[in-house]
Amino acid sequence: MRRLRTPRIAALALLTAGLAACDATPLPLGMERGTELFETCAPCHGANAAGNPDIAAPAIAGLPQWYIEDQLRGYQEGYRGDHYTDLAGLRMRPMALSLTREGDIESVAEYVAGLDPVYPESTLHGNAGAGATTYTQICVACHGVDGLGMPELHAPPIVQLNDWYLYQELQNFRSGARGAAPGDTWGLTMRANSLALSDEVMQDVIAYVQTLR
Amino acid sequence: MERFLIQASTYAGSIDGVIMLIALLVGFWFLLAEGIFFWLIWKFRARPGEKSQYLTGKEKHVKRWITIPHALVLLCDVFIIIASVRVWYDVKQQLPEADSTIRVIGQQWAWTFQHPGIDNELDTDDDIYTVGDLHVEVEKTYHFQLQSRDVLHSFSVPVFRLKQDAIPGRSITGWFQATETGDHDVQCAEICGIGHGIMAARIHIEDAQTHAQWIADASAATTP
Repeated sequence: MRRLRTPRIAALALLTAGLAACDATPLPLGMERGTELFETCAPCHGANAAGNPDIAAPAIAGLPQWYIEDQLRGYQEGYRGDHYTDLAGLRMRPMALSLTREGDIESVAEYVAGLDPVYPESTLHGNAGAGATTYTQICVACHGVDGLGMPELHAPPIVQLNDWYLYQELQNFRSGARGAAPGDTWGLTMRANSLALSDEVMQDVIAYVQTLR
Repeated sequence: MERFLIQASTYAGSIDGVIMLIALLVGFWFLLAEGIFFWLIWKFRARPGEKSQYLTGKEKHVKRWITIPHALVLLCDVFIIIASVRVWYDVKQQLPEADSTIRVIGQQWAWTFQHPGIDNELDTDDDIYTVGDLHVEVEKTYHFQLQSRDVLHSFSVPVFRLKQDAIPGRSITGWFQATETGDHDVQCAEICGIGHGIMAARIHIEDAQTHAQWIADASAATTP
């Protein structure tokens, strides 16, 4: 009988280790969880969320938490990134769908919102003077005179967004690749406003937005 | 094999047949080889006072333990090759006449499907584009034109036992015919980046009436 003692102790140790592994402590949320989740975002958006134009990943650092949450929910619910011409959106959609645990969207959004904002360099060459008129006529009502947006209208700050990204999204709104889904209440507003904009006018108004920084 | 995953295409059964043939032949030789291996270990186990001896393997009676199984394994290979070539020809080398043609476009990390509209012609104004949902009619032969927008992908429909790489810059044609209705998974079977594991879609195999209704509804709603 004495011989059996060692295997019994080993079995007990294994059982204890197994039970410890089944610890019922809730998994972390907030910044700790957000830091962990952001590892999935970093390959495209960069370690500081400064974006990567080569793969159409915009700078997202410092965007408001509510806006990031809104967009991630849009991807999950299929009213964003679900159109066959929205190639960048199609790339983002499965990433958002992988946020399956309750609180994940809020956690990663909190983390990204807490990063220092970056103001990417201009890449387009629109006429800011001409764009000012359009901005005042169409955009200012929701995005504000300073371009910092209005959360109550679900209008995000646009001064820190890449100009190529703004152009791409305006084109998506105009073509119906974005903002055309029935559930996308705020996107529908944006789509309606984009319909009247030509490519040239889009670039002008984006050039003006860049001057608001 | 169907016990694990249903066979929903005309060629799923023959592909499973080849896999089963390989599994049985290889399994037989594996078990036989392992059995002989352990029997020899037991037979020539260490015994007190008995010295081990070195076998060069040159003697005929020793060498035949290798040559006979070798010849028999090669014979099994011939059976496998014959069965494989027959299935390969059916699935890949021949192209039965199509009732309809669809386009399958892979990109990081989504599948876009271009279906013909009511006119049953691809690349016309009434084409229906969907992301993540492929609609086909049961018992109709489809040609698919497989393309990739960025990197290598692989269009995989497990219930069809269909798997075909998508290569940027090329349009690869293949075919399938579904044999029963139902909704099933479509996967990407080629590592294509960080989102590869969640690059999933669904195939909806519908009866003629349901499919015609879907085309009518989707044609009305689609804005190319």
